[in-house]
Amino acid sequence: MEHADLLERIAGTLRHDVGPAVADEYARTQAYMAAVVLGKLAAEMRAKAADAAADGADLDALFADLAVLAEGGPLPRALTGALEAAARERSDAHLSRLVEQLYTAREALGAQRFDALLGRVRQTLRARLARALAYSA
Amino acid sequence: MSTQDVGAAEVPARIRDYLAMRLPEARDLVLDNLQRIAVGWSHETWLFDARWREGGETRTRGLCLRRDPGNALLRELSDLGEQFRVLQCLEATPLPTPRPYWYESDTAILGRPFLVMEKVPGTCPSPWGREGRAYYAAAAARGVLPASFTDTLATLHTLDWRAAGLEFLGVPAVGTDFAHREIAKWRAFIEQTDAPPDPLLTDLVCWLEANAPETTRLSLVHGAYRTGNLLIDDDRVSAVLDWELQVIGDPLYDVAYVLSDLNREGTELLSNVVARDTFFDRYEAATGITIDEDVCRYYHLLYAMRSAAFWLSASDLYARGASSDLRLARTAWSVPVVLERAARELGY
Repeated sequence: MEHADLLERIAGTLRHDVGPAVADEYARTQAYMAAVVLGKLAAEMRAKAADAAADGADLDALFADLAVLAEGGPLPRALTGALEAAARERSDAHLSRLVEQLYTAREALGAQRFDALLGRVRQTLRARLARALAYSA
Repeated sequence: MSTQDVGAAEVPARIRDYLAMRLPEARDLVLDNLQRIAVGWSHETWLFDARWREGGETRTRGLCLRRDPGNALLRELSDLGEQFRVLQCLEATPLPTPRPYWYESDTAILGRPFLVMEKVPGTCPSPWGREGRAYYAAAAARGVLPASFTDTLATLHTLDWRAAGLEFLGVPAVGTDFAHREIAKWRAFIEQTDAPPDPLLTDLVCWLEANAPETTRLSLVHGAYRTGNLLIDDDRVSAVLDWELQVIGDPLYDVAYVLSDLNREGTELLSNVVARDTFFDRYEAATGITIDEDVCRYYHLLYAMRSAAFWLSASDLYARGASSDLRLARTAWSVPVVLERAARELGY
């Protein structure tokens, strides 16, 4: 049995067998909440490999597009550094730093260029959020 | 001594002993109708009627005790000492609030700090359940509660907070200071957790910083004004409860909370009780404040940041072993839901 299947089965037992048999309101709520948490973990585990692949492909496309957009004119040095680090490290921390640097450089970039760069980052973040919502909502 | 050392089973006897100390003239002191009300996100709440003999007479006093569980969702932001002080300041104002009696920071008494206040008559149905929704729908149809809900908010926003002594909450400068203070507060709250930086949340915070509205009028702001945080008696607000998020700031911060569709379920009525037009007309007439919906939209995004901070903090408390409440563990999956709302508002 796959781990995700096992978690879902345990969640079902908690929801249908354990919860209804518990008289104390707080403990019963905890049993149902445990079922909810295990169900979400199971769904997240199932999606993990496919989501990681999609995240990787999205980041490839993002940094390719940002490189093209960056050619439209000089970027402030700190923004260039944040962009290079984010492309290299591909971590949430570096992507967050890139977003911060975009806002810091907003005036220097001008509204149109700022919107284009941030809009492209948002496109990637939106796709990733949609994947997370599949098991979070 | 920790709160674990004074478990729920021990609390009633400890409360009785404490009241006997506070009421030295009381004889034969007993606690009637003692109940620990539904487990909330923050404090333990105990309701009871203290009954004793004094000077040949029987006396009773309805009381409410709130104890800090030590791992509250709002962490140090939820300070019972500050709540007590706020209630003291509000006692002489027209705003209906419970009368505060005592605050104790001495953890030897109940294991954690606690406050004792008046048990105000009324009920506080949860707006998230079927029964609560039915209660508010019926009250809304009768027409008294929608007016009382709106008038009480107007009273809150027009009270003289300087005269009441509430300056200790911190007074923002005119301009964008209020919004920046709130952003800084919730940013610091997020940074207390072990959560890795989230680029979408970073975008939200940066956007909020770049678009902070000017605050032209300062009021006492409750921070969570909605049904569920108000005691209702005979269709009127008998007490404004849950003084945990109050600040001196833009009254539209509260108004935005009322307007938010997060605070109603299965109804168009704001906070499950008042029609939008009625609220606008009555609130603006009572306060002289014009509701700027663009500013309210900004505050909706600030609330999204705040909600994300709540849920990151909650799941972090569980992950660190500071709480065993599985409701907190579940909130890890609430963060993307909150961020999705923010992303839509930001035009993602």
